[in-house]
Amino acid sequence: MTMELSAGAAKRRGAGGWRWAGRIFLVLLLGFTVMPMIWMFITSLKTGFAAMQYPPQWWPAEPTLENYWRLIDPSGTVGRDFIQYFWNSIWVSTLTTILAVVVAVPAAYAFSRFRFPGRNFLFFAVLLRNMFPAVVFLVPLFILMKALGLVNTHGSLILTYLTFGLPLAIWLLKGFYDNIPVQLEQAARIDGATRFQAFLLIVMPLSTPGIIATSIYSFIGAWNEYIYAYTFLTRHDQMTLPVGIQRFFSENATDWPGLMAATFMMSIPVVVLFLVLQRYFVRALTEGAVKH
Amino acid sequence: MAQVILKDVVKNYGDVYAVNHVSLTVEDGEFVALVGPSGCGKTTTLNLVAGLIPMSGGTISIGDRDVSDLDPKDRDIAMVFQNYALYPQKSVYKNLAFPLQMRKLPKDEIDKRVQAAAKTLDIVHLLERKPRELSGGQQQRVALGRALVREPRAFLMDEPLSNLDAKLRVQMRSEIKRFHQDLNATIIYVTHDQLEAVTMADKMAVMNGGFLQQYDSPANVFANPVNMFVASFVGSPAMSLIPLTASSKDGRVVLQSPEGWELPLSDANGRKALSAKSSKVVLGGRHSTIKVHKAQVPGSVPGKVYTVEPTGDITFAQVFVSGAVVNVSVAPSFQLRPDEPVFIEFDQDRLHLFDGETEMALKLE
Amino acid sequence: MSTVPGQAIFRDVPEPKRVGLGQKVWSSRFDYLYVAPALLVMLIVIGYPIYYTIELSFFNTPASLALSAKQFNGLDNYVTILTSPIFWKVTWQTVLWTVLSTFFAFMIGLGAALALHREFVGRGFLRALLLIPWVVSAVAASYVWKWLYHSDFGAISAMLSGVGLIDKPINFIDNTNTSLYALIVVNVWKEFSFAMIMLMAGLQTVPDTLLRAAQVDGASPWQRFWHVTFPHLSGVSMVTLLLLAVQNFNSFIIPWIMTGGGPAGSSDIWITHIYQLAFGRQRWGVASAYAVILFIVMMVLGYFYVRALTKGDEARAGA
Repeated sequence: MTMELSAGAAKRRGAGGWRWAGRIFLVLLLGFTVMPMIWMFITSLKTGFAAMQYPPQWWPAEPTLENYWRLIDPSGTVGRDFIQYFWNSIWVSTLTTILAVVVAVPAAYAFSRFRFPGRNFLFFAVLLRNMFPAVVFLVPLFILMKALGLVNTHGSLILTYLTFGLPLAIWLLKGFYDNIPVQLEQAARIDGATRFQAFLLIVMPLSTPGIIATSIYSFIGAWNEYIYAYTFLTRHDQMTLPVGIQRFFSENATDWPGLMAATFMMSIPVVVLFLVLQRYFVRALTEGAVKH
Repeated sequence: MAQVILKDVVKNYGDVYAVNHVSLTVEDGEFVALVGPSGCGKTTTLNLVAGLIPMSGGTISIGDRDVSDLDPKDRDIAMVFQNYALYPQKSVYKNLAFPLQMRKLPKDEIDKRVQAAAKTLDIVHLLERKPRELSGGQQQRVALGRALVREPRAFLMDEPLSNLDAKLRVQMRSEIKRFHQDLNATIIYVTHDQLEAVTMADKMAVMNGGFLQQYDSPANVFANPVNMFVASFVGSPAMSLIPLTASSKDGRVVLQSPEGWELPLSDANGRKALSAKSSKVVLGGRHSTIKVHKAQVPGSVPGKVYTVEPTGDITFAQVFVSGAVVNVSVAPSFQLRPDEPVFIEFDQDRLHLFDGETEMALKLE
Repeated sequence: MSTVPGQAIFRDVPEPKRVGLGQKVWSSRFDYLYVAPALLVMLIVIGYPIYYTIELSFFNTPASLALSAKQFNGLDNYVTILTSPIFWKVTWQTVLWTVLSTFFAFMIGLGAALALHREFVGRGFLRALLLIPWVVSAVAASYVWKWLYHSDFGAISAMLSGVGLIDKPINFIDNTNTSLYALIVVNVWKEFSFAMIMLMAGLQTVPDTLLRAAQVDGASPWQRFWHVTFPHLSGVSMVTLLLLAVQNFNSFIIPWIMTGGGPAGSSDIWITHIYQLAFGRQRWGVASAYAVILFIVMMVLGYFYVRALTKGDEARAGA
């Protein structure tokens, strides 16, 4: 009796121990995760002089928003460039997203519903695209874009972003279509809808969460893309944020507070988008990987 | 309502035949159950009638029109699905209105018909709800309502009751039957549950392996199964089948068991047994036609009790006879114990004989 | 077929004609319309570049974009690569980078997923915070960490000396011994939450009844994890590990922005090296040959990737 009791107590202590280990782990991980982001923000509030101190000021003695004003002030050169980069990023990301969804929706639907000859091969080919690093495509695409006269245009970026956005978009959307019972469409067709009407009136509204999730993915992917933009764009007025910020930094090598303010500004749209639409985002990502 | 005629209908995927040369006629106002085990081709057949999948061969006509090449929307049929297939984003009202909107009926006409259908099915109070807020039985009614609202030429139902619990299933069974009688509707009803088919349908089409096995009234299918598959599929508990050998002895035909006992057959049954392709004959009997004795009587064969299942007003038992399991039933007062030796007697007028080679029922010419 | 009872009735029925591939393609011609736009885009921007990369890899190219002046040199580019000591150094660094990043991102993600599996107040918020590094741009992450690692004013050095671990600031990334590892930390920071979110979803598929049954059988928390939870996670883990490995193998931004592959090539990995060859030194042919080798390696990984991703896809019924 006593033996069993103490064994049970030990077991409970064991479980409690695991729980405490989990909590401590989470606290440490949280520190690891947010520390760089907090430091980015704190630094962005410093003057150039305050940033260059050792040991650093953990909180600036005289916090200032000067670095942010400079970025959004259209009368200064820095502000003019930064606003231009920002709009370029928004424009490129938005257009990429719209095109990716428009092209991916029918393809994903077909891969989910139809069994045409070559379907598996084509689907594999689409998925395989994600395997290849940008650099494999970089040289020939650069030459192709040059031949098409697209170097230094947003067209070159949108076209390339589509190719890495599409496979992911198709895969994500297919996961959503797979989960919509085919009987709904059959019912609609019997109720008098054509195949296309059944898709438009019944399936499309049901896949809205999937389309939202796919859009966020495309948008964030395009927003953060660097390597193609870095290679295809050399003109300042065409640059997107990641490339623009790099240029900004290479010309002002020691302006860490300014750089931190710029990276902070660059992160805001995607982080806000992500936080607002988090549940779609997470669901889409795991839909395909975890079979129900 | 209209007649539905399937002529030599085939659906194959490469070498796999889901539906193999099926022909049958559903008369105007008839309730036909397509029944068979899963994978027998019954749902595929229904989908072919609906036009949801293209046929590989044959023709289907509804009323006086050949609909073989028509889209589902042009066949003027309604369908009730196993999972109901209610549009989750639409309210019950909009679910019912959808088929009418697709046919571009005027708004007030749509409203009139939706209200009428809702009234018939007693779902008026649910019209503003979404499907996910309804119970299984309510969803079932809405699905029926969506089929009913359009006054189609035929109703197709794909296992509409299989997602309901046992009690609700019995209730909905009588409601669908009532629905059929009131509307005098042509209904093709797919089910894997032979009891549903027997209790509801005017005719049942038993399918297996893509082939139509037998198409007749439930009473005839029950009384005269054409082959061993139909015999063992229809009826609960299933018909018992014992493989034996037929031979002539002293001018009479007897069935011999490998264990050594012999069962003499009546003249008529003897002639049937001899018409088999070989001496292999399978003896079949339903529990209601088999008597159980504690001591041997003339014409009985030995067996051993395996399990006893009292159900209250009747006791079922399984008896091993010559290596086969035979379902029998006795009065509750008749005590049986597992492993007890018993003797069972077949009613010579109601036993079934099958050709051991072709599995077809043996008949007199 | 001959075992089907009742077939005898129809024994004299002729078999229907076989359907040829051409007929099948023709009968599903409208299905192709749905995938055509996607395929067209991908053909232009993928098919052509792959072809062109393979072609270029067999040529000696001028150090300009006047590539019509290229000369065929057979396998010379491949020989150059495989006999160069730099190739093996970069390959070793790439393996280190890929394996270590993948391993730590996965293990930290697994720990976080397990710790977050239990319901508690603020769990959703915590999960969102942990996911942010994965959402922010790698360019932003690189600059922030570069600043944290700064040899004179770095916050990490300051913190370490604050707790008395070191006396003077450490030079993390301008040091041939530490640069690669310093970058791996950044990479793990950036992508562990991807593993976390995948594994959290995987954990939801572990049946509670099994865990309870194991508890009744007297299994300790560790035994329950090892014998019940972990086997259920194997599918998701496979996909996650593969995706992480592929992504790490293809990494570019973090090393490129933080060190440019330096100092002295100590943090160079395949992609940065190829980029340097192509756009830095304009050796298009050699860079293409590198890309082709990479391509072959990826094809092998890709086989497993596609298999893991499409598992169960065929089981789903189509219309």
